[in-house]
Amino acid sequence: MSEHDASRREFLVRAAVGAGAVAGAGLVPETHAQTREQDRKAKSETNAPAGVLNYIDLALAGAYADLQDFYRRGLAQLDAYCRKTYNEPFVRLSATRQDEVITALDEGKAGGFTWPTAQEFFNTIRTHTMEGMFADPIYGGNKDFAGWRLVGFPGAQAIFTPADMQSKQAFTRAPILSLQAQAQGPTRKE
Amino acid sequence: MASEKTDVVIVGVGAAGGILAAELGKAGMKVVGLERGPRLTTADFTPHDELRYFQRQELRPNVKRQPVTWRPNANARALPLPVLNYGNQAGGGTIHYGAVSWRFHEDDFRARSQTMERYGAAAIPEDSSLADWPLTYADLEPFYDRAEYELGVSGKAGNLQGRKIDGGNPFEAPRRREYPLPPLFVDQAGAIFEAAARKLGHHPFSTPRAIVSQPYRGRLGCTYCGFCQAFGCHIGAKSSILVTKLPEADASGNFKLLTGAMCYRVNSDNSGRATGVSYYGPDGEDNTIEAELVILAPFIYDNVRLLLLSKTARFPDGLANSSGQVGKHLMAHIGPRVFAAFDDRYVNIYMGPSAQRHSLDDFNADNFDHSSLGFIRGAQISVSPADLEAGPIGAAVSMNPPPGIPRWGGAYRDFLAKYFARYAGLTAQTENLPYADQTIDLDPNVRDAWGLPAPRLTYDWRRPNELKRVEFMVRQLEELGRTMGATHVWRSPPGQGAPGAHHEGGTRMGSDPKTSVVNRYGQSWDIPNLFIIGSSTYPSMSGFNPTLTIQALAYMSADAIVNRYKKNPGPLA
Repeated sequence: MSEHDASRREFLVRAAVGAGAVAGAGLVPETHAQTREQDRKAKSETNAPAGVLNYIDLALAGAYADLQDFYRRGLAQLDAYCRKTYNEPFVRLSATRQDEVITALDEGKAGGFTWPTAQEFFNTIRTHTMEGMFADPIYGGNKDFAGWRLVGFPGAQAIFTPADMQSKQAFTRAPILSLQAQAQGPTRKE
Repeated sequence: MASEKTDVVIVGVGAAGGILAAELGKAGMKVVGLERGPRLTTADFTPHDELRYFQRQELRPNVKRQPVTWRPNANARALPLPVLNYGNQAGGGTIHYGAVSWRFHEDDFRARSQTMERYGAAAIPEDSSLADWPLTYADLEPFYDRAEYELGVSGKAGNLQGRKIDGGNPFEAPRRREYPLPPLFVDQAGAIFEAAARKLGHHPFSTPRAIVSQPYRGRLGCTYCGFCQAFGCHIGAKSSILVTKLPEADASGNFKLLTGAMCYRVNSDNSGRATGVSYYGPDGEDNTIEAELVILAPFIYDNVRLLLLSKTARFPDGLANSSGQVGKHLMAHIGPRVFAAFDDRYVNIYMGPSAQRHSLDDFNADNFDHSSLGFIRGAQISVSPADLEAGPIGAAVSMNPPPGIPRWGGAYRDFLAKYFARYAGLTAQTENLPYADQTIDLDPNVRDAWGLPAPRLTYDWRRPNELKRVEFMVRQLEELGRTMGATHVWRSPPGQGAPGAHHEGGTRMGSDPKTSVVNRYGQSWDIPNLFIIGSSTYPSMSGFNPTLTIQALAYMSADAIVNRYKKNPGPLA
């Protein structure tokens, strides 16, 4: 890995960690969630909650490569805002203060943002966090179906019966299916 | 640079173009169809991948390559829309649409007259360009019938030749016969909606959809997988043009489809006759096709854009635009929403076809008395998932949590965990009036991947008549949600003025060449061998989804071309 690649890699990991810390804080299932202290120490996708950070990392290196500058500028503005308001970067703030910052982003009340605006930055990170939580695991997030298990979504089912559709209960007739399972067909062994 | 000759060239092989290709090909006319995107197959739609198809919109235009800009008024700066809802491949929007297939009401074709007769001329907003259609429901009924039977629509009649049928839509216009297929199964959300609507004295019914509920004409019946709106159907149960009319066009032996072909100009001669089209091929090469008959059937933006790009000395304001009406009267549906969440049951709304499932028509068109309401025309009300798509990404990005719960953090996680499988969405699809200053033109600042100016929309739905209608409808939705027994009932925030789904207008049809672009057959008043088919010709929009009416109009135009125009080319009306 060249020095350039390493620096880009570090940026992507930092972007993903920052994104996860901003929008994913508290969003992941308890069983997979880690403490904010661990979040701060996160340096790779391996300990990313539910794989959200891994998803964003991969997306910024691929499908969303054109958003790298958006993330870079957004994170720089976020840290500038946090340093100005609390004398510390976002990841070093207490949970309470992180929540205050996120609320300010969500409501567009965080000052000093030009491009992206605070709300644009928050909305994008939020959307990408949701994608990482709920997209098929082949995209690197939704680890062990953590997102789908959280909300009760059975994945890529090919058929629902009239009884399924009229039931007032949670769906349990079939296991959760990923795209890989779908590609292998219905006869695969669990 | 390639050049070829043909009888007919059709630009855009979607809901309208696919029908015309098949019908004209079967009548012995040599047809070339130009399609900007690829031709996919049913096998391509196997992955049930919400990120790829719903969120990243693989079956819709890429907004970076094919930008469309929007501004709320002529003084604002136009910015590219983040989402485009039309199709981008052979079959057009019928590949990814929700397949909701309505016939318009009788009064949808004469909304101006109906309003004046019942409420007086003053009830129509002064600045609205609301106009009657140059045809009646009865004129179109035979072609609705053909579309339903040839494509495959599932539903229950509510008005058989004037006889009201329980369980169908009692407000529908009279139909000659039952739907070709029984209604799709009712899901839990539909069942609760049905019970609540009946309790309130409304008339609920299963939404008619171009999804076959049983095997039909060699196609498999729906399996209710739920990956429907935004997705291609992995078994071909959705009656898209890809699995219905394109095989017919192929079998005629007279149809050639060119994919990756971006039409950029309609060519015409000094006499004002269309001579064919120019297009960029897949590798960017500049090609022409000479044709006796030119049919434009892309999405409405491109109908307008092509006419404006094709201006000549004879038509300095855009081809076929002696009326000055090209680009005017843009309309779009707005979908105010209310969410209902239940503590006592699962709803599992991710199961089954995902667009409007169960509906009521009591507040649509002029089906209710508007005398004291302060607005005219109505909305179609139905139960559906958050964004007419029911996966968890769709719910997370399209459903706002109830008041008091933020969009992030632990409280939001708990909300999604508890209610993703326990909510139902309620939507009203509003009939917004046409206004002459709601327009499509060419953006002077933004160009697409071919170097062509982007279509620019100038539009803001927040007019007094429309705002009052939205508030009235949201109250109906809230009452329905409460009557359904929901623990929580809350509103989605109103939109910021941008057009929603189902665009109409821009090349309106009429009876007078001075005030309309085309006649009832979509034939240009100025250029008789140029036809424009699609919702761009609608003079008013109805609260109903537009596709089945686009398809009926395509059948009617094909019939007129084959049986009259072909023998004696010239004005049809």
